[in-house]
Amino acid sequence: MQTNAEQSSSPPSSPQLSPRDLAHVDGALHMHTIDDSSLQARPAPFAAGGTRLKEFDQSAVSSRIPSGTATPPISVVGIGNKVAKPDYSEAKIVVATVGLPARGKSYLSNKLMRYLKWLEYDVKVFNVGQLRRSRARQLALTTGQRGSHNADYFSHQNAEATKLRDKLAEDSLEMLIQWLKDGGNVGIHDATNSTRSRRQKIERRVAKEKGIVVIFLESVCDDPAVIAANVALKVSSGDPDYKDMSPEMAKADFLRRIKAYESVYETITEPHLSYLKIINVGNQVTMNHIRGYLQSRIAFYLMNLHLKPRSIFMSRHGESQYNVEGKIGGDSPLSKRGMAYARALPALITDNIGDAELTVWTSTLQRTIQTAQLLTYNKLTWKSLDELDAGVCDGMTYEEIEQAYPEDFANRDEDKFNYRYRGGESYRDVVVRLEPVIMELERQENILIIGHQAILRCLYAYFHNLTQADLPYIKIPLHTVIKLTPKAYGCDEERYTLPIQAVDTHRPKPRATKQPDDIPQTTSRREYYADPIVA
Amino acid sequence: MVAPLYTTASGLLFHAGKILVLTVGLPARGKTHISRALERYLRWTGVKTQVVSLGDYRRKVIGSAQNLPSDYFTLGDKSPETVALRQKVSDGCEQLIWDFFNAQGQVVIYDANNGTRERRQDIAERFSAAGIHVIILESLCDDEDIILANIRSVKISSPDYRSWDPNKAVEDYYRRIRDHEVHYEPVEETDFPFIRIKNVGEQIMVNNIRGYLQSRIVFFLMNIHNRFRTIYFARSGQSLIEHSYKADSDLSPAGWEYAERLKDFVLERRAKSFEQRGIDPSTRKLVIWTSARRRSHHSAWPFLTTGPDDPSPPAKVKVMERPQMSEINPGVWDGLTPDEVRKYYPDEWNRFVKDPYAYRAPRAESYHDLCVRLEPTLIELERQKEDLLIIGHASVIRCILAYLIGLPASEIPAIEVARGDLVEVVPTSYGVFSQAYHFWDGPGRSGDGGGTDERNFYENYAEDTKGKRRSEIDENEVAPAAVAAI
Repeated sequence: MQTNAEQSSSPPSSPQLSPRDLAHVDGALHMHTIDDSSLQARPAPFAAGGTRLKEFDQSAVSSRIPSGTATPPISVVGIGNKVAKPDYSEAKIVVATVGLPARGKSYLSNKLMRYLKWLEYDVKVFNVGQLRRSRARQLALTTGQRGSHNADYFSHQNAEATKLRDKLAEDSLEMLIQWLKDGGNVGIHDATNSTRSRRQKIERRVAKEKGIVVIFLESVCDDPAVIAANVALKVSSGDPDYKDMSPEMAKADFLRRIKAYESVYETITEPHLSYLKIINVGNQVTMNHIRGYLQSRIAFYLMNLHLKPRSIFMSRHGESQYNVEGKIGGDSPLSKRGMAYARALPALITDNIGDAELTVWTSTLQRTIQTAQLLTYNKLTWKSLDELDAGVCDGMTYEEIEQAYPEDFANRDEDKFNYRYRGGESYRDVVVRLEPVIMELERQENILIIGHQAILRCLYAYFHNLTQADLPYIKIPLHTVIKLTPKAYGCDEERYTLPIQAVDTHRPKPRATKQPDDIPQTTSRREYYADPIVA
Repeated sequence: MVAPLYTTASGLLFHAGKILVLTVGLPARGKTHISRALERYLRWTGVKTQVVSLGDYRRKVIGSAQNLPSDYFTLGDKSPETVALRQKVSDGCEQLIWDFFNAQGQVVIYDANNGTRERRQDIAERFSAAGIHVIILESLCDDEDIILANIRSVKISSPDYRSWDPNKAVEDYYRRIRDHEVHYEPVEETDFPFIRIKNVGEQIMVNNIRGYLQSRIVFFLMNIHNRFRTIYFARSGQSLIEHSYKADSDLSPAGWEYAERLKDFVLERRAKSFEQRGIDPSTRKLVIWTSARRRSHHSAWPFLTTGPDDPSPPAKVKVMERPQMSEINPGVWDGLTPDEVRKYYPDEWNRFVKDPYAYRAPRAESYHDLCVRLEPTLIELERQKEDLLIIGHASVIRCILAYLIGLPASEIPAIEVARGDLVEVVPTSYGVFSQAYHFWDGPGRSGDGGGTDERNFYENYAEDTKGKRRSEIDENEVAPAAVAAI
């Protein structure tokens, strides 16, 4: 791990002290020296508290000379500003999946979608199976006609059904292309696309569109255990295709469906296609003609996934001194109640995980290091996990900020994700900084992150596919461990709240109609329809 | 999450074991370019990496092409002496590889043609038997322009062709390629993992690549190219409060003047460079990266318009703000002078002075943290095919320059980056060519005595410690930190 610089910076002369000990000593020293009268003479940091910032801004306005340009930049005042989303309009990609049923195509599509959406690309999965079910349902609702989608429907001997299926795939692709033209970035064509001729059709269709490229994503799986698990999931998860069947019958039918595809399946070998072939997720990857920035990002991301069962635990640090005082930012130690949480945490984690291996990640701030101090697992410190930097507002209370800068304060509430504190960060900046952490999380197994409110909101939003607008309002209470267990189509979540009181640091969006409780609850259940029911 | 610093007891990182990358390809296919770029990148990530070049070794032990028997490069029947000579060179190279692995090296890139299946198999099996992961890296090229450019710019300037007539040298080199072509067997075997790169990164195919370090190698290779381009670096102009990170203050009047002068000078330099190299300016774009800090972004402001009388954005110039490129965060030392820090934070100060690369002041970033933050930017820098101007902060420029030039981590904080200099870096096959041009002497230029710059010593460490550059630490002296490698 490449993160904790202090480990290497500890002077060789004091080998008995671990870097963590040193950090604690430092922390303790600070606590002691904070009341030292000599420190009172220390020059105040440049901050939004007091009148200094306002005076500076006023003097700056008068001292400015116009630049030679016709459009002078906006003058700098206040405690921050909204920052527009970067322009991604040039990215237009069709990702077409290839693979037999139950090979994890939808799993990969969903993962990829969540990752890219989290990075603010506009991504949509166009699942041909969903479209088929939606249309069948629509037909059943309007005409009472019920089509059978048992294995015979998927047989390639069944000429009529094959035609229907081809039509569905084409319609789905047309919808996808239209969606890209309307401003989408990455459309995932989630279907079996198992023959050369089908892939050629897709290739030719996409080639007609200027600025849109297609990459194929093949998922090959020859691990019987993984296939069996996928089949079991399929027949037990309420797939409407099997709703009138017993699980045994459903399984038999699904296996027949796989057979039907196997008989015509041609793995990708076309040398001119742009493709990624993933063999037993996490095992091997073949890449061909992967060009372009986003494509290489996609490839790197998919190369780092694995399917081993594991859980990700997240907890905020215990209640800190600043939490009690209502101040934001800072590097304060834990409060008494926060220390009680740090003492209670090891038992909670051990009860949950037993003897399994676990690695604890903390930020470099002392409140997370203190919270983790009694845990006996391997620990790593990440600078990237430090709390959102509130810049000039660091160390102030929300009331103070609101009083001194009412307009800025309202602006931030208006658009919290995009608001960057002066001399600090926005939520978007934090997402950008956390991207390598996500990549690392995907590669790891059991991890406990002792983090901060804004940081955990960003990570949580990735795992639960929440929007940028909702992200800054996700509730991550103090003294609570959130356990996320990645499943095929999302994450299962459990929360363990320890009965140790703490202040509530959550600020709901003022005057908003949509409160955090309305944030759509995501589940790890599979979506079987492309759209909500149309009555 | 990589940046130079870490050592482990075994000398290995990322649980990746030892790796031998065996390059395969005809002469002039960019193998050396790829090998050197990969070496630089892996070293930056802290992995002990070494390129072993068969050509360089041969020139070192037997001299340049003139001293070789005439059948040295023809792959047909050779005289016994030539066979023995070739064997000697090849054995010598292999010994270098073993030596590096034995000295705790992790990755060796064996830069040679390795054109026959038999030869590859032979080497791969020997190293594989010793538990070293062998990866075949084939470089193909079917673009005649790339090949010719490569021969002209690199090959005929090699010592093999000293005092040759350039055209004759090119002709001779083509003959060498043709001789190789007769016996060349493209990589079709799949016994070992392979990466096949076509036209230096244009296409890439990967087989059987496993694990983090290997996938990182692939990700890097996916992003490199060898198009000629220039990377320029300039500091941002002077700002109203130079010594405060938090203030994020705007440019001072002198800063605005600086910004205008910078634009003129960059355009002037580029025009000269195009003329010298015979490049048609209309085929080249200029991409400008700034941080999201106002002093940096506003220093690029003049580039947004064609001129005072023409507010339209200039053609072929694109300005991008990258929040990852903010200057090093000084934490609680923000706004303090060195004297004040010594007074209020004596212990921290001492630790900082001992190891300015790795030490992180309270709530600050160390240079190591900054390198980690900048790593994704480096990949994008490699990708960028157009000329690039980075208008940034001294600390950021230091890290990126250190990567491009291949300086050890310990030197990063002391690299001098003066305001008023334009640093020009031209990537070449064997590394980079860099040069600084002085273009401005106004207020805020470091060292003029009147600038407030020196107060901001955390960012401007080099200026503050002029002449006190730390001697390079012997890698073996660094205590192996008890850091778990990934």
